[in-house]
Amino acid sequence: MGRMKFLCDAERCIECNGCVTACKNEHEVPWGVNRRRVVTMNDGVPGERSISVACMHCSDAPCMAVCPTDCFYKTEDGVVLHDKDKCIGCGYCFYACPFGAPQFPNGPAAFGARGKMDKCTFCAGGPEETGSAAEYEKYGSNRLADGKLPLCAEMCSTKALIAGDANVVADIFRERVLRRGTGAEVWGWDAAYGGGERKQERKREGQS
Amino acid sequence: MSGKLKSITLAALAGTALLGLSACSEVPQVTVYEQGQYSGKADTRPWEGGAFKGDRAAWEKALKERSRGQNEYNRIQ
Amino acid sequence: MLTKKSATAATSARRLRGASARQLGQTMDRRAFLKRSGLGVGAGALATQLPYNFIGAADAATPAGAARAEGKAEIRRTICTHCSVGCAADAVVRNGVWVHQEPVFDSPINLGAHCAKGAALREHGHGEYRLKYPMKLVDGKYQKISWEQALDEVGDRLLKIREESGPDAAYFIGSSKHNNEQAYLLRKFVSFWGTNNTDHQARICHSTTVAGVANTWGYGAMTNSYNDMQNAKAMLFIGSNAAEAHPVSLLHILHAKENGAKMIVVDPRFTRTAAKAHQYIRIRSGTDVPFLFGLLYHIFQNGWEDKQYIDDRVFGMDKIREEVLAKWTPDQVEEACGVPEDQMLLAARTMAENRPSTIVWCMGQTQHSIGNAMVRASCILQLALGNIGKSGGGANIFRGHDNVQGATDVGPNPDSLPGYYGLAAGSWKHWCGVWGVDYEWVKGRYASQALMEKSGITVSRWIDGVLENKDLIDQPAGNLRAVVYWGHAPNSQTRGAEMVEAMKALDTLVVIDPYPSATASMAAMVRKDGVYLLPACTQFETTGSATASNRSLQWREKVIEPLFESKPDHTIMYAFAKKFGWADEFVKNIKLDKDAQGWDEPNIEDVLREINRGTWTIGYTGQSPERLKLHMKNMHTFDVKTLKAVGGPCDGDYFGLPWPCFGTPEMKHPGTPNLYDTSKHVMDGGGNFRANFGVEKDGVSLLAAEGSASKGADLQMGYPEFDHVLLKKLGWWDELTEAEKAAAEGKNWKTDVSGGIQRVVMKNHGCHPFGNAKARAVVWNFPDPIPQHREPIYSPRPDMVAKYPTHDDKMKFWRLPTLYKSMQDKVKDISKDYPLIMTSGRLVEYEGGGEETRSNPWLAELQQEMFAEVNPKDANDAGFRNGEYIWVESPTKAKLKVRAQVTQRVAPGTVFLPFHFSGWWQGEDMLKFYPEGAAPIVRGEAVNTATTYGYDSVTMMQETKTTLCRVSKA
Repeated sequence: MGRMKFLCDAERCIECNGCVTACKNEHEVPWGVNRRRVVTMNDGVPGERSISVACMHCSDAPCMAVCPTDCFYKTEDGVVLHDKDKCIGCGYCFYACPFGAPQFPNGPAAFGARGKMDKCTFCAGGPEETGSAAEYEKYGSNRLADGKLPLCAEMCSTKALIAGDANVVADIFRERVLRRGTGAEVWGWDAAYGGGERKQERKREGQS
Repeated sequence: MSGKLKSITLAALAGTALLGLSACSEVPQVTVYEQGQYSGKADTRPWEGGAFKGDRAAWEKALKERSRGQNEYNRIQ
Repeated sequence: MLTKKSATAATSARRLRGASARQLGQTMDRRAFLKRSGLGVGAGALATQLPYNFIGAADAATPAGAARAEGKAEIRRTICTHCSVGCAADAVVRNGVWVHQEPVFDSPINLGAHCAKGAALREHGHGEYRLKYPMKLVDGKYQKISWEQALDEVGDRLLKIREESGPDAAYFIGSSKHNNEQAYLLRKFVSFWGTNNTDHQARICHSTTVAGVANTWGYGAMTNSYNDMQNAKAMLFIGSNAAEAHPVSLLHILHAKENGAKMIVVDPRFTRTAAKAHQYIRIRSGTDVPFLFGLLYHIFQNGWEDKQYIDDRVFGMDKIREEVLAKWTPDQVEEACGVPEDQMLLAARTMAENRPSTIVWCMGQTQHSIGNAMVRASCILQLALGNIGKSGGGANIFRGHDNVQGATDVGPNPDSLPGYYGLAAGSWKHWCGVWGVDYEWVKGRYASQALMEKSGITVSRWIDGVLENKDLIDQPAGNLRAVVYWGHAPNSQTRGAEMVEAMKALDTLVVIDPYPSATASMAAMVRKDGVYLLPACTQFETTGSATASNRSLQWREKVIEPLFESKPDHTIMYAFAKKFGWADEFVKNIKLDKDAQGWDEPNIEDVLREINRGTWTIGYTGQSPERLKLHMKNMHTFDVKTLKAVGGPCDGDYFGLPWPCFGTPEMKHPGTPNLYDTSKHVMDGGGNFRANFGVEKDGVSLLAAEGSASKGADLQMGYPEFDHVLLKKLGWWDELTEAEKAAAEGKNWKTDVSGGIQRVVMKNHGCHPFGNAKARAVVWNFPDPIPQHREPIYSPRPDMVAKYPTHDDKMKFWRLPTLYKSMQDKVKDISKDYPLIMTSGRLVEYEGGGEETRSNPWLAELQQEMFAEVNPKDANDAGFRNGEYIWVESPTKAKLKVRAQVTQRVAPGTVFLPFHFSGWWQGEDMLKFYPEGAAPIVRGEAVNTATTYGYDSVTMMQETKTTLCRVSKA
């Protein structure tokens, strides 16, 4: 088995937030905590694109690297998880994370106003007995152990968000890109290698 | 379930991967965290604790089957 | 201790973070905007009501957490109750608690996919903000009462009104959220009460479509399906924001786009659908006719029309051609709708050169005072291109609610009995026969035979039924005294400021709903008593069928028992039928079951069987409960593109037996995936245009030309609809069995309850029972036989009003005087004071009036405040900034306090407001008027508090999409 990955196809994402409520539904995530959210660029103008973002389960995860209590671990299939009993809610992982994935619930937490960190688990639960009430309360449900994939991706309205083994995800996406007959339109390419925004601006100028 | 949770020995597994990679003289892509640096509770692997009772092959097959649902080209050409 | 362990990791992290921060900093999307403007307030207020923390102990308020692993898991298959796409969902239930929701990858309609609403269905199993027990307004406060007391008091009050003023003094607003069986029973219910004063959401949703489309080619429904759009090579969306209103349809649409289909979006607003289009065209709100005829201009100019198709299958296209070429030249089009010639030509070329091409329209086209003309212009475009009756083409009219199609087909309509039978004596006799009751008895329930056959007041105008001068109301009962809101939001009807006056003037107001709170709070704001709230349960707490937009019926299993003291709508209907003294007549052919509390519940399967026995016109006859359940179990055997089952127990059927599914269930008609499709045999879902308007007009035959019948038909020419006489003439009569002959004698294909005529015509001779005629480009029985552009009553362009004035006033129209010209003249210069167009639309997170979805914390969190989209120019002119509170004031003087979202999504001169909010009234939170514990989480100004007068000249559709306003800083 390879490594678990999410991929969001910006050509398909319509910012419907199905992934966001699917996550709330599956894990009963409380108000104010967003393990997943949809980010839109160029809102309301030509070039508008959205992508759904959660913990990306990085190969070399910055949160793991900086955590002062070493509460993070990575499973064999590449899912980044953490032990809430060890977490001190310091927020350093939030500082390190490029995606804003770590969330800090309000409440009577042990460490000041912030609760312990909560984030996307790739629907893989956490370090409690699989399927136990303790696991559900702390981390949410463990779909992976049931042979199922994260509900956000499974329920995506346009199948823009894909989750699973990186190779399988890549295969699905490759087929689509071939059908479209154009290059990789996945969000991130233009942004990462520049030119995306400038191109967008040029396009807009051209149209007006 | 046996009740007793098996622990992941991160270092051992990562070590295997390292050996595998270095055999073809590739630079490892993944940072390795030394055993002991994760200070939390041990966790079971997904095929161990739940419905699959340790049958890793069955679990992988189930997951692969499941991922077909994310590709509508499987049903529409 | 806070040292970094991997220098490279941290550096790259910072770099990425910077990049994404730059990206985000430059734009302000709707959600970021809301979060920054008001998140703190909403979240703070909620902290005490919601399970807040994963780290804390298990919370009793989250039943799923506790019950998740206990008890045997049972899977119940249901259908999302929000929009009309019809997404299937599997509910996992343990010990009677809905603990889990799984995607149904097998469904050929949604393949497991859901939008925000569908992915949040399970919250219905919590229902913490629902009405939990019957309540009554006492001295301005809602108090809990028992069901017995509620049924008694409501029943007595209604009976007293009936006694004093006659049955027409009551008004029953039904629901598109009812399943087919409940909607059908409600029409029967109001008939036995003795009035046609009933209606439901379809009036204000697609009534102009239903009337316009049915009068053009036969049936008033989406011709093809969401799935069939995968076969389209070009798609034109006009007045449809499918990405927000029907998100899962985008699964099919984007798949088609990925495989080469061209996508054009026409809308005053740059919608999320527009963001996915190849070409986006901004038109001025309300100018759809000039736009569509502007496309036709280029089509005719370039000879792109399908001449053979028009000759064979269309009546009156020559007159359209003359009109278009003379009147809608590019300069005239640009003057009216603001689109330059090159853009028009490009769109026309795309549609013409990429056939089959389809058109999609929704409320952006229907909700206008000339909605009927706009939808017909869309039909004419598709007829000219030869796209109707073709896979990949069609008029894909996306309906709104989950069962608005079904409620339109068989539910509470003021102008028709179930199945579009109308209200003539013959129709009544047909249905009385099916119901097993005496026609004379039903007639006796009405004030007179004349009123029994006269269309009732529409839901868009019930407030005028209360407030209008008694002498001007075209019914002897005079004003309405009682209104029953049975599953309908009040904030979806226009002129809200006047609605509270109407609520105040009523004798009795009854609300039957899981979430009655918008109506309840409006009423409590102006009344001290006379209001009753009865808790109905949701569709997840009962069973029955629902018709998706593509005419497919799907069966819902009951997921959980009714929560709290709520009851299913049909159980409540039966309880009132008992109170009113006609319980036995109401369920003559329907078995009664006992529910857990010992209430009598009409058996839903028996109700569907009764629908099957009566609804021959539109083929609701073949969809027996058994066939529908078989489809739900074997979803995986259906092809996603064709919807046809390949092998398996449903072999040859189309998914959900899309109506018309003719004949008896035993005839095994497979349903009709695409209407009027001559390339298929009628027993394989083929068809042709309906012969419903006579056989000739002005000396020209209305029947289809030689050789243009459906595949394999014995009659390969045009032919009229079938009745016993035609059958005898053709020598087919003896193919009926003796029993069928006895039933069919003197009857036609619509009234022969044996189904014999349909069987012989279709199965033996391959013909269509409704005949084979031409579609009508000219609908001579409408006010504008050729669709005309007419400016809205409240137009921003006095010059255009002079050029394209509205209709003359009508004194008796659906029982009410209705103003057009006099009103438009009165306000023709009002745009000086109210210079901006005010328009409204949907958000993906909410549905309809929004009480249900705004009570769902998973959805409510995503849209916490009512807002208005305003162009930067208008914002700067008015002197306010993004995120500030502003007043939106309409010519009615009603003022809405909303957050400003300053965005280029709307053009200068247009203000967009979402229509799902209620619970604020002109700047004030109405929280104190809600029944305790039943206020939705998110409340805001209802756009319809400020909307103005204006109604369609055929169907009384309300004008919501084009009116006027002005904005100022609050």
